[in-house]
Amino acid sequence: MSAWDLLVTVEDLGSDAPPVTLSVASDLHVGGVILKLVEKTQIKRDWSDHALWWEQKQRWLLRTAWTLEKYGIHADARLVFMPQHKPLRLGLPNGNTLRLRACFSSSVFQTVMGVCRMLNIRHPEEHSFLRPVEEKKKKKDKDSAEEIYDLTEVPLSSASRPCLYNGMPAHFADSPQMEAIYKMLSVTQPPPAPEVITKQFRPASVVDKAHINGRWLDSSRCLMQQGIQENDRVWLRFKYFASYDIDPKYDVVRLTQLYEQARWAILLEDIDCTEEEMMLFGALQYHISKVSESEPQALSSSAAMDDLESALQSLEVKMEGESSSVSEMLENMTAPELNDYLKIFRPKRLTLKGYKQYWFKFQDTSISYFKSKEESIGEPIQQINLKGCEVAPDVNVTAQKFLIRLLIPAPEGMNEVYLRCENEQQYAQWMAGCRLASKGKSLADSSFQSEIQSIRSFLAMQKTSSGSHGNANANDESINPHSLVSPRYHKKYKAKQLTPRILDAYQNVAQLSLTDAVMRFLQIWQALPDFGLSYVVVRFKGSRKDEVLGIAPNRLIRIDLAVGDVVKTWRYNNMKQWNVNWDIRQVAIEFEGNINIAFACVTADCKIVHEFIGGYIFMSTRSRSKSDTLNEELFHKLTGGHEAL
Amino acid sequence: MDDIDAMFSDLLGEMDLLTQSLGQETVPPASLSSTNKETNYSMSYTDLNDSLYELEDTDLDALMADLVADLNATELKLAADMQGLKQPSPPPPDLPPPPQGLSPRPTSSPVSPASPAISTSSNVSTPTSSTTSPLPPPPPQTAKPTREEIEAQMKADKIKLALEKLKEAKVKKLVVKVLMNDGSAKTLMVDERQSVREVLDNLFEKTHCDCNVDWSLCETNPELQLERTFEDHENLVEPLLAWTRDSENKVLFQERGEKYEVFKNPQNFYLWKKDKKSLKDMKDQDKELLIQENFCGTSIIVPDLEGVMHLKDDGKKSWKPKLFQLRASGMYYVPKGKTKSSRDLVCFVQFDNVNVYYGKDFKGKYKAPTDCCFFLKHPQIQKESQYIKYLCCDDENSMNLWVTGIRIAKYGKSLYENYKTAERKAAVGSAWTNCSTPSSSNPSTPSPTIRAKSPSQANGHVPTPPPGPVTKDFGNVPPPPPPPPPPPMANFLPPPPPEPVRPSPPPLARKSSSKPALPQRHLPTNFPPPPPAMGGLPPPPLGPPMDDASEAPPDFLPPPPRSTGFGSLPPPPMNSLPPPPPPMSMDLPPPPPDPGCLPPPPPMFTAAGAPPPPPPPPPPAAPRAPVRPSGSVRKVPPAPPKRTTPSQGGAGGGGDFMSELMLAMNKKR
Repeated sequence: MSAWDLLVTVEDLGSDAPPVTLSVASDLHVGGVILKLVEKTQIKRDWSDHALWWEQKQRWLLRTAWTLEKYGIHADARLVFMPQHKPLRLGLPNGNTLRLRACFSSSVFQTVMGVCRMLNIRHPEEHSFLRPVEEKKKKKDKDSAEEIYDLTEVPLSSASRPCLYNGMPAHFADSPQMEAIYKMLSVTQPPPAPEVITKQFRPASVVDKAHINGRWLDSSRCLMQQGIQENDRVWLRFKYFASYDIDPKYDVVRLTQLYEQARWAILLEDIDCTEEEMMLFGALQYHISKVSESEPQALSSSAAMDDLESALQSLEVKMEGESSSVSEMLENMTAPELNDYLKIFRPKRLTLKGYKQYWFKFQDTSISYFKSKEESIGEPIQQINLKGCEVAPDVNVTAQKFLIRLLIPAPEGMNEVYLRCENEQQYAQWMAGCRLASKGKSLADSSFQSEIQSIRSFLAMQKTSSGSHGNANANDESINPHSLVSPRYHKKYKAKQLTPRILDAYQNVAQLSLTDAVMRFLQIWQALPDFGLSYVVVRFKGSRKDEVLGIAPNRLIRIDLAVGDVVKTWRYNNMKQWNVNWDIRQVAIEFEGNINIAFACVTADCKIVHEFIGGYIFMSTRSRSKSDTLNEELFHKLTGGHEAL
Repeated sequence: MDDIDAMFSDLLGEMDLLTQSLGQETVPPASLSSTNKETNYSMSYTDLNDSLYELEDTDLDALMADLVADLNATELKLAADMQGLKQPSPPPPDLPPPPQGLSPRPTSSPVSPASPAISTSSNVSTPTSSTTSPLPPPPPQTAKPTREEIEAQMKADKIKLALEKLKEAKVKKLVVKVLMNDGSAKTLMVDERQSVREVLDNLFEKTHCDCNVDWSLCETNPELQLERTFEDHENLVEPLLAWTRDSENKVLFQERGEKYEVFKNPQNFYLWKKDKKSLKDMKDQDKELLIQENFCGTSIIVPDLEGVMHLKDDGKKSWKPKLFQLRASGMYYVPKGKTKSSRDLVCFVQFDNVNVYYGKDFKGKYKAPTDCCFFLKHPQIQKESQYIKYLCCDDENSMNLWVTGIRIAKYGKSLYENYKTAERKAAVGSAWTNCSTPSSSNPSTPSPTIRAKSPSQANGHVPTPPPGPVTKDFGNVPPPPPPPPPPPMANFLPPPPPEPVRPSPPPLARKSSSKPALPQRHLPTNFPPPPPAMGGLPPPPLGPPMDDASEAPPDFLPPPPRSTGFGSLPPPPMNSLPPPPPPMSMDLPPPPPDPGCLPPPPPMFTAAGAPPPPPPPPPPAAPRAPVRPSGSVRKVPPAPPKRTTPSQGGAGGGGDFMSELMLAMNKKR
């Protein structure tokens, strides 16, 4: 066989270096080419990660046993010899950017698996890469200053499960810097500044949202094939909203990032919610940021540490229990009371009289009041049981107005009663008491003190947000309420108007632990009607206008683009088959009962739609196959399309 | 008082039934027939409850203060209690006559006076008993001189226990009349810790119905023309306490298909937009998938409901259409001229503080467009009010959709768990109707922890002990009485075994152990006595004791506390003793309710004050083991205090008991 010259660019020689010329024959296998190449460069190093990339055909020559002939390579081929793993800038759901080594030669599905393994995220199949939304040039300078967490030094491992050290993959325990990165991954980020939210791209319509879904990378092909170069930026996101088997013990990073993605989806109005829901989300964010500051280890500790901790804790409790004297015990048992002069006002009755001062006594879940302190031994003028009542704050710190509005149920209806406190301290105590009592808890309840604390910190929040704008004191207490809600509410409410509303919602979540609060946030998010819907603009066969296809974990919905109404719903479990005609880029689906639909995709490639549908069907098979290992083959079978077969 | 009388008579009737059932157990054929009647409970709780409850609290507070006053004093008290324990035994002998039927009741007597809602105060003194149960108490006294520290520690423990008991003592109880479909009524004692599920189980036992998942407890309020099915996980007492005294509200026991319809045909709720025909042919597999998707994920998915309903204007009789939407976070409507997008929705109501009710005949009452109305209100609102939100649907189907959707949004996962439990019950129930009984009993603290079985406890207590005496006094339930007297005697010893045995099948371990074990266990744990007292109620007691025993030592302790309470009471009993003999019908009824509680103590006492017990036993249970009689005797002493309380007005019983306890303690000091 005749020899001919093959030109190979060796990336490691520098971009200016001329290609190396090799004399090869068509029956030479790829391994032989590499061997020759390495010899010719005379560089001694580990070449094991390197492989040949065929530029014109956009493919890797990974089968070293194949001959050039089999690959169809001729003298005109331009080959590049380069490492398969290269640095990639990875935008995380929490907004931070990681720089890490990712595989550019295997399918994106596998690359994502590798990245998730490195970051200790279970169930990588729920994730994928998204091409980032281009940012305006202006911000470029700012971006360059952005902190990048560098993980490129992490050795590549092929173990399916990283060995854990202190609950984190061992490579994070190497240095303080690495530990800091792990902390960034596993601890929720503080609320962003309101300006940051405002500046981010927000989808204004369902079409905008549909465009985002056109950016998903193809899971069946590698990064190089999709134009992603070394040091390029991609986003790692949860793509399939079918979170499987979440266990706060093992899913620290996963849960944190899922929360971050959900939080941003809410803040950027990627998913719609009502005002009440927004306030609750705000309250939960506030709570989560508070708690994660105070107990940052709670989420990040390993299972083993958990056990140890709980063991220690129970030991502590034991010791306390043993050491606590009976007198202490009795002290705890004697019901605490609040006694003070407060002003009361009943809007419905005696409207003219206004606020009147009495001596108030808060005991158990009831408030009684007397003419004066001296008469408090006798019968109260009235006793009000607060169990089941509604409590609302009416506070203006600058105006020194501390009002507790009570709506007290009675057989005849609800009675409105306002209690006016003199100062912050008094207000916090009585408000906390009312809150607990409304839930049927007495002042003796262990949450009383923390309730007081949370009320005070909220008052502080109002103080800072309504007071001077000098945010000089980076005190954690000074969270701007605008950081907790979407920009729509920045316009609608001033910070000090927002505070009481969030506080209102906050009272129901204030006692949650960090994990519970995160879980609650996710639950409420998942319960939103539009949750889990990925939109694509499509053109149904036989229809003349564009419509929106919503792809959910369990169904497809057809949405009228103009009105936004759901026209039709099809559930996957009624689906008999779906096909893609790659030539005319049309997706055809057949459902039980002889229902056939077909559509062409407008805002996304039909491969993306195909992958979504196949992906969700794959996700739903997971619970059935109890095995821990991911059935990658099945995934590709369901999502690959003809290219993968 | 009339109410009380009525209550008592009801109680007596029930006791008779129970006694009959007991008889059956011993003599299987007879008793069952009586229980067969289906029960409707129409609830009536007396004002007495309130008053009693208050009394108790104040008394408890006083007791607390004393306890807190100084440790030394408490030590002395404890010592006194110990003595008292021994002393009490003697008083019982006097009481013997009542005991036969009453013996069990007396134990309950402190609470019993207020039949409607009884708070078990007897527990307060229990701490001492707890100590006694282990037997350490006596030694401590003797050892005091030598090991003061140990004693101090022991006392401290006792005080802790006492304090815990104090908390327990605040448990509210109601006597509830439940109306059955056939117009008859059953009366139940319901503890505030009991869930509706437990009460239902109790009713299953009593009615021998088929136990299917549709059986429900419903409340009706004629004034508001409302009807609501209680959810199985709710506590029954709380909503009943919201009823006004003069209300004609009722509790019904009936089958309500809509209660769990969403789990039987989820497609009708989650796919309601689809055409009816395809829904009808839904495969079971697909239904299961729907349930999985919506109830078994990380979050509960609420049916996607949206539609026009008519909303009643405040205070007017006009109804205006609005486009409503249901979301997990509440109900919303679309304001005029706005889009349906989430951000424009106006919150109509959130479900934290309201329940959803069906409205009956609103067409007539409020001129509603149709009779398919439901409304939302705070459970405490019992009369017409602007705070009630009335809604009118076009048809019944959409009304059920909305009401069910709101329930899902409000109760979430509990609803599904309730259904699962109900399903299991139905499966078991059909096989063993009797089973439930054993589990149900349990006046003592353990019951609350028990899942669903404890419900019957209250009933068990009340009915069993009272039947004998009550029936006699009132004569309302003539037939049952005759059997009771003899059985009661036997009950002390035998009763537990008979009932428990039969029911046992389902709870295998429990029942099997309970039947034979009852006596045995009682002896060792101190619990045994209670069961005997229960006699009629054997099943319930058994359940609790079993739980206690199995669970942990602490449980055992609780029972002893009661006994100790009695121990402390002994002095009072003396005072009270005179009353007991007189115990007319009034007196008798009260004791029954508590008997359950009291019984346990007796065993304790028996152990401690072995000598005294002998005398008491002779009267009622003489033949049986002396130890048990002692138990009965013990019970007797407590009974007197109760009787005194009843005399006051039934309701005050608990308080009196407490005050007497206090008196006794002071004396000892």
